[in-house]
Amino acid sequence: MISEANGNSAIPAAIGIGLRAPHLAEIIATRPALGWLEVHAENYMGGGPALTQLEVVRRDYRLSLHGVGLSLGSAEGIDAAHLGRLKLLVDRLEPFLVSEHLSWSVSGGAYLNDLLPLPYTEEALDIVAANLAQAQDALGRPLLLENPSGYLRFRHSTIAEPDFLAELVRRSGCRLLCDVNNIVVSASNLGFDAKAYLDALPAAAVAEIHLAGHAATERGGRTLLIDDHGSRVAAPVWALYRRALAHFGLVPSLVEWDRNLPALPVLIEEARRAEGMAQDVGGGDAGTA
Amino acid sequence: MPALRELQEDFRRALLEGAADAVAALIETGDLSAEERLDVHRNNLFASLTAALRDTFPAVCRLVDERFFAYAAHEFIRLRPPARAVLADYGADFPAFLADFPPCRELAWLADVARLEWLMAHAARAAEAEPLGAAALAGVAPEDTPRLGLWLHPALGYLASPFPVDRIWRANRPEGDAAAVDLDAGGVRLELGRRGGEVVMRPLGQASFAFRQALAQGAALEAAAARALIVEPAFDLARALGDLFRDGAVVAAEVLFPAMEAMP
Repeated sequence: MISEANGNSAIPAAIGIGLRAPHLAEIIATRPALGWLEVHAENYMGGGPALTQLEVVRRDYRLSLHGVGLSLGSAEGIDAAHLGRLKLLVDRLEPFLVSEHLSWSVSGGAYLNDLLPLPYTEEALDIVAANLAQAQDALGRPLLLENPSGYLRFRHSTIAEPDFLAELVRRSGCRLLCDVNNIVVSASNLGFDAKAYLDALPAAAVAEIHLAGHAATERGGRTLLIDDHGSRVAAPVWALYRRALAHFGLVPSLVEWDRNLPALPVLIEEARRAEGMAQDVGGGDAGTA
Repeated sequence: MPALRELQEDFRRALLEGAADAVAALIETGDLSAEERLDVHRNNLFASLTAALRDTFPAVCRLVDERFFAYAAHEFIRLRPPARAVLADYGADFPAFLADFPPCRELAWLADVARLEWLMAHAARAAEAEPLGAAALAGVAPEDTPRLGLWLHPALGYLASPFPVDRIWRANRPEGDAAAVDLDAGGVRLELGRRGGEVVMRPLGQASFAFRQALAQGAALEAAAARALIVEPAFDLARALGDLFRDGAVVAAEVLFPAMEAMP
């Protein structure tokens, strides 16, 4: 089934998995039935044999490029060299989706390798919108912007995160990658209602959904959820995914796993579970490509 | 309320240097303190970059043990955070950092093991390039030969060390031979490259190491040959060139400074 609500008619909904280097050879050898694959763009920016192997995979699967290093929230602007590397990769791999994060990771030229939080202010909105416009102009296509997992909130924020995202969609024409695990993590850590957050997102702009596992840690007797992509998708995340499907339609959905990477069949099992849920909600074929 | 640029600079300092006061004042606390919340990001930063360094320098990590490696990595990350968002490129300065790191001063060979691992990581992921056949030199005029520049395959790297770093490295692989290495066994001159997708390491003689390393550094043929002749007066240039092409080491050739037109 193709969702009419979000205008995704060119992209049949299907379930994919995050492709990590240790699974690359097995994917090439066994070609499991998966709708699509997503890789972190930065892992292939050096070129070399890894990129050559990815091009082999690309012949059999639709590919999504997920960037983690563009730092769209940096007040000092985005690194033109990094944007150039991303463009080279986009031109070479022709992905059906290209996504990045609502966060920052570069300050004073140092890359801090984490998706750091922004204050949601008019100033930040202007900065992210300008950086987004620059990136989308260079790439010649809209980016999908992912909602971050949150651990802190700035006192001077004046805009709610879903409204901030909606305004970026309005200003830049970007679309959204709704990470339902991040919503569950942030809602717990920052004390807001996950369902209300989801409902406040501009549904028509959501073009991809992420699912992943998180960890729970204790700090001073208080539970803090960490978005570590290190386990199976948790029950509250599946529940929110069901709601997201009802809300956004059958948009391409991805199961991510990074830490404690399991054997490939475990990841595929999680994807099948998402597929079953998508079929329940959509009543149509959200299955394999 | 600080401008975003200032906030990000303060945040960077809070993560890298621990100077969190300016940022902490901006953070809502609730039932977790600002420091506890910032710690999540601090841990993400140091743990992920330490893991990236451990991936690139596994033998160094085994040699100094996991805890000391994490300590050295923490200091390195704090002082030299990545300048770009491609983690495979992070750590070029780590060998030099280890050479100057006071707690490692006794381990004179450690920095060279790190240099070796950096070159191996580089060889594994360097760009692909088609080797050139020796026939490509057929059109070069004899008078231009001394000024010929040969571009070597991007995966190739050269390391000379006064220590047997190849043996130290072999003894510290996960599947290691774990044999004791005699540190006084003498130095090595190594060439790192890639064959069939696998990184290969091999020792070179003094003259061919000098010749190939000079070419890799951009020297023209005559200058590279001169360096080899200094260490070995019997150095055979024609043979060395033949070996170089046979190894598939050359990917481009160009006369660097063509002979000037005769002045009128």
